[in-house]
Amino acid sequence: MTAVSLAEIRKAFPDQEGTDEVLVFDGLSLSVRDREFVCLLGESGCGKSTLLNMVGGLDRDFSGHLALEGNAGPDSVKTDPRIGYVFQEHRLLPWLSVYDNLKFVLRTGGIPSDLWSSSISLWLDRVGLWEFRNAYPHQLSGGMRQRVSIARAFVIDPDILLMDEPFSGLDEFTGRQMREELLQLWRQSQKTVLFVTHNCFEACYLADRILILGNRPARVTDEVPVDIPRDYESEELFERSVGLTRKVLGTGLGRLRGQS
Amino acid sequence: MLSQLVTRVVSIAVFVAAWQVTSMLIPPRYVPGPATTFAKLIEFAGSGALLGNLATTMIRLLGGFAVALLVGVAVGSAMGLYRRAEGALDLWVMVCLTIPSLVYIIIAFLWLGLTELGAIAAIAWTTFPAITVNVWSGVKAIDQGLIDMARVFRASRAVRGFAVILPQILPYVMGASRYGFGIAWKVTVFVELMGRSDGVGYQLNYSFQIFDMPGVFAWTLFFVAIMITIELGILKPLERHLFRWRPELRA
Repeated sequence: MTAVSLAEIRKAFPDQEGTDEVLVFDGLSLSVRDREFVCLLGESGCGKSTLLNMVGGLDRDFSGHLALEGNAGPDSVKTDPRIGYVFQEHRLLPWLSVYDNLKFVLRTGGIPSDLWSSSISLWLDRVGLWEFRNAYPHQLSGGMRQRVSIARAFVIDPDILLMDEPFSGLDEFTGRQMREELLQLWRQSQKTVLFVTHNCFEACYLADRILILGNRPARVTDEVPVDIPRDYESEELFERSVGLTRKVLGTGLGRLRGQS
Repeated sequence: MLSQLVTRVVSIAVFVAAWQVTSMLIPPRYVPGPATTFAKLIEFAGSGALLGNLATTMIRLLGGFAVALLVGVAVGSAMGLYRRAEGALDLWVMVCLTIPSLVYIIIAFLWLGLTELGAIAAIAWTTFPAITVNVWSGVKAIDQGLIDMARVFRASRAVRGFAVILPQILPYVMGASRYGFGIAWKVTVFVELMGRSDGVGYQLNYSFQIFDMPGVFAWTLFFVAIMITIELGILKPLERHLFRWRPELRA
């Protein structure tokens, strides 16, 4: 079953003078299967975040076909699939405590209030921050804030999880630990994940499948299935990520040559 | 906290002592001492003038301030949210900010007569530009990222407005209010001197006319005491409570 599918997407921004338009996507197509972890890999500025915003419903100014489906069982009636989003910055409401930040999205997501406290305690416990439930975001470290942000995305029991370089603002040690934690949460919850990154190593470690986004207007230039075990220590992971880097740079170099 | 209180009490004691010494060196018609001033204060209180005039002044002050706050928040928000409003109004807000309050008072009294309405209009007019500027910069600083977050998590327009945008603007409105309140009470006294026949400003002017220095001191002391009480007793604790989530205000 397909959870996310985009077909023949066309999207343009007005250029800086506002006279002409810049094509971001022209004929972009991709799909993510149910419960699949897909990493979208590309250089900065290639339109990865724009794509995620379109899937997340923040940007509706495009043409083409976009379909999202929930992975609920046949007996449950779900119309709109629920989306959990983890941004590059934590984007927690600074005037709410950790607990209330989670409550906020449960309320806006229309989740029955009798489930709130059990969901919040479950997810705060899973990210190891139950003790900090009454803290305000500014009292937490960067890594802890991003953990809250991840818990917030999971707590609404989303059909699809969108992540926009969630670990790029963290130091490497924290990032590494949090990638492991994320995989654990993902295994426990079996969510469909679309994860944007420019970090080849991260993509190889996390993904079931990597989609390389390249060339402007951007489209999926390559698709790389990842079938190695998710293990930081494995030699294979390192080799794969080096190979992947070459691949991504290759498309970039191709573009540069094309321009000259 | 306690040491801060001690410091404050000591500083007040030193001031009163210095005042006492000065008054012993200079004739009381220039600098009346604390005892003389307090005697005057008690005399005013006994005649009922103290609270009566205070009430009159406070009503004008709060009326003018409320209008200024309403207009300031509306105009400031529009300027922060819409580029066109900003382009059209920023020059005029600066102009309003530059014009001396005396001009507003004269114009308000000429247009509306020496009435309560004229007084309130003059107070509001003088106060609103400062509030506008503060709210304007606050609204401009709204974090679009938080609004996007709320949209992704399906917050309705109303929820985004009340639960995401409003809390971001509120600290600026609060800051603007305290600042605006300071301007308003100074101008209120001036307005009363210019065109009213009651209120603290009028009483000050009356004391001036009959060269009653203890009267001037007594009214000033009283009014300042009231304003400090409002500031420290109401506004500051309110602000601390509302914005306890802000790191910079916790220090």
